[in-house]
Amino acid sequence: MTKKLLMGNEAFAHAALEAGVRVVAGYPGTPSSELIETVAGCVQAGSAKDVHVEWSTNEKAALELLAGASYSGARTLFTCKQVGLNVASDPLMSLNYVGVEGGCVVYVADDPGPISSQTEQDTRRFAAFAKIPVFDPADVEQGVAMMPAAFALSERYRTPVIMRPTTRVCHSSAFVDVADETKAASAKGFQKDDSRWVIFPARAYRGHNEINDRLAKVAKEFSGLLVDEAPSGQSSENLARFNPVENRGENPKLGIVCGGVSTAYAREALAALARAGELPAYRFMQVGTPFPFPEDLANEFVCGLEKIIVFEELDHVLEDELVRLAGLRAARGASAPRVLGRASGDCRAAGENTVEDIAARLAQFFDVKYVKPAVDSAESIGADLPVRPPVLCAGCPHRGAFYACKRALKKMHARATFSGDIGCYTLGNAKPLDAVDTCLCMGAGITMAQGLGVVSPGVKQLAFVGDSTFFASGITGVANAVYNQHDITVCVLDNSTTAMTGGQPHPGTGATLMGPKSKPLSIERVLRALDVECIQFANPHDLEQSMAAVEKAVSFVGPSAVIFRAPCVNLVKPEAPVSIDAETCTGCKKCIMSIGCPAVGFNGQTATIDATLCTGCGLCTQVCPFNSIAKNVGEGAR
Amino acid sequence: MKNVVLTGIGGQGTVLAAKILAQAAQARGWHVRTAETIGMAQRGGSVTSHVRMGDGGETVASPLVPTGSADMLIAFEPGEAARVLPLLSPEGVLITASSVKQPVSASLSKIVYAAQPIIEALQKREGRTIVVDEQPLLKLVGNAKALNIVLLTVAVCQTNAQGEPLLGITVDELKEAIAACVKPKFVDMNLAAVDAVRKQLNL
Repeated sequence: MTKKLLMGNEAFAHAALEAGVRVVAGYPGTPSSELIETVAGCVQAGSAKDVHVEWSTNEKAALELLAGASYSGARTLFTCKQVGLNVASDPLMSLNYVGVEGGCVVYVADDPGPISSQTEQDTRRFAAFAKIPVFDPADVEQGVAMMPAAFALSERYRTPVIMRPTTRVCHSSAFVDVADETKAASAKGFQKDDSRWVIFPARAYRGHNEINDRLAKVAKEFSGLLVDEAPSGQSSENLARFNPVENRGENPKLGIVCGGVSTAYAREALAALARAGELPAYRFMQVGTPFPFPEDLANEFVCGLEKIIVFEELDHVLEDELVRLAGLRAARGASAPRVLGRASGDCRAAGENTVEDIAARLAQFFDVKYVKPAVDSAESIGADLPVRPPVLCAGCPHRGAFYACKRALKKMHARATFSGDIGCYTLGNAKPLDAVDTCLCMGAGITMAQGLGVVSPGVKQLAFVGDSTFFASGITGVANAVYNQHDITVCVLDNSTTAMTGGQPHPGTGATLMGPKSKPLSIERVLRALDVECIQFANPHDLEQSMAAVEKAVSFVGPSAVIFRAPCVNLVKPEAPVSIDAETCTGCKKCIMSIGCPAVGFNGQTATIDATLCTGCGLCTQVCPFNSIAKNVGEGAR
Repeated sequence: MKNVVLTGIGGQGTVLAAKILAQAAQARGWHVRTAETIGMAQRGGSVTSHVRMGDGGETVASPLVPTGSADMLIAFEPGEAARVLPLLSPEGVLITASSVKQPVSASLSKIVYAAQPIIEALQKREGRTIVVDEQPLLKLVGNAKALNIVLLTVAVCQTNAQGEPLLGITVDELKEAIAACVKPKFVDMNLAAVDAVRKQLNL
């Protein structure tokens, strides 16, 4: 064992390896990506034996692959971010009806805020909808303890099990003991059994009854009650340790229920309030297994309570369960507490919870005084700050691609809509590029452009898609355009990596997590096979070439494509930074106003270059009307 | 509990600095939790790292430093220091680099974003504010990327009224933590940087 400072995702990877996971697959997405990267690191270092790990083409592919492995008796782990589960929802829903053999843990990282996502969807809700048990860790250590329990539960009841941490658990770190070597549990291989593995309506009916039966039993285990035999014949486990209850003071009338990282925030808020003055007696519960709701345990918890406040993020899942419980109790004449939370308007309805917000609400709940900490701020000290949103990196090839498209369409005097997609290139939306008019979900740009074109036939439709997104979910959209004869131009921004999530490989790179390289899938060959007749190529750092390619593709009637090809700046050594000739620079700011590169600044008189950022891509040299920016020979500092 | 917030711009090296502090705290037997900004903001946006150390033997619950609770704020850029000021206790210590990094939004506007007014504003705070003139120090240590080591060195050398290390971590402990966290081939260079900064600033 070695003690290491590990991020939640890394720690959970080690926990899964120690639990004997055999097959790990997923698709990158913040805040989930580091789990698979950690497993891959252990496999490549040789410390994790007998494990297969891969980045699959998308989440659906990953989960289906794992279903096969699980039927064969292997312990399997799926990873994705919350919206990734939407993509994998088809196999997930059916898999639950079929059931599993080897433990199957579905790791879904939710993103309250959201910090790096399109939605604030709550996977606990998805779990209830799919009728799959879910674990919700409050911190890194608890998640580590939950991982083996999740595998065991999955095998005991032959059910997939979801583990859904949130960003602050995934991306916070603590010191954790990890095994120096792990070995995957053996799997007996696939045993043909048509009564189990082939889903038909009659099988699904039987499956639904099996699900209902096992959920009732799992809820008992979550409440700490032993149940008679599980389907696998294994005896039940007391899992109430993930739903800890504590009493503070005598005969509490007030209850606090928390889920996830809000548990930690609430503990801190309670400590701060207790330091400021005496608090009334209260009872505290963390629900670490929100579905199936540990109703027996919660029923004990609410006994004698008059009022309960619930702190959770995303949706009001625990609150709803407690309201339901209160209703059931009231119906049979038992005491029923009032339940306060997100749905009742007593807690934040969207975004992240914070210690301060919870402290203020708890103070009101307890009817004690809370003094907000007096703090300084940029405003209070009179500092006037520019905003600093994320931007495309200096030298990012996407910048040239977007700029060339804008310039070409302007030159053609054509109206156009630019449909964006999910990836770094969503940042093309920022000024001055202002080159992303829509963004919906993975792969949607290509298909949305078709709908936009149907309604506005005179407007040119350009759809931007990254290389990884193209393989993940862009191909069906292209097939649709060819089949239904939509006049769109697909701009593939091929930077040879999945950049936004930290540079993961994909089918187009051929690099695999197991080591051996496969033959890279060619984007142009895929497009040709789909009968896209006009395919243009351009180096996005070459403005003239890029504009010509765009003009040709956009002029073509029918589906066309431009493949912009240049590697992500994080993959290559930079060239020498460009330099500004202060004599000839007129300070017109054309460079800044056109392409918005973070390496180009303005000192009041002339443009300036931040040599620590500039990669020497030279796009600005092609934009300057006075030839005042020069490329230089040599290596860059970045 | 000792709370430290590190802030800067995606890519400046706050994550490694937070790791080094956590390592030093762990070596003292303290419970530690850290939190990072990972994702879209890393693309040149504002980022913060939180380091929470249970120096009194306590267990750290939340990974995030609550508003007004940071004992120290280590800023890799002065504007970013001002941006996250609400996390710092008004009596807390601010250590900030002195050069501003122009965001694209500033270059696009008519206003020039300059360091001096921001630094003057920061110095109006009640707590100690230390402005580190990092450019000559980075030149001295011969590594433009050593800003995290420069700032950490200044940070651990801060003392309270009794002359004890404010963060409870000594320079030697910082060095051990650096050696444990950076790649072996960069250890000597980074340790030399600590000494050079101390000598230059008489710390």
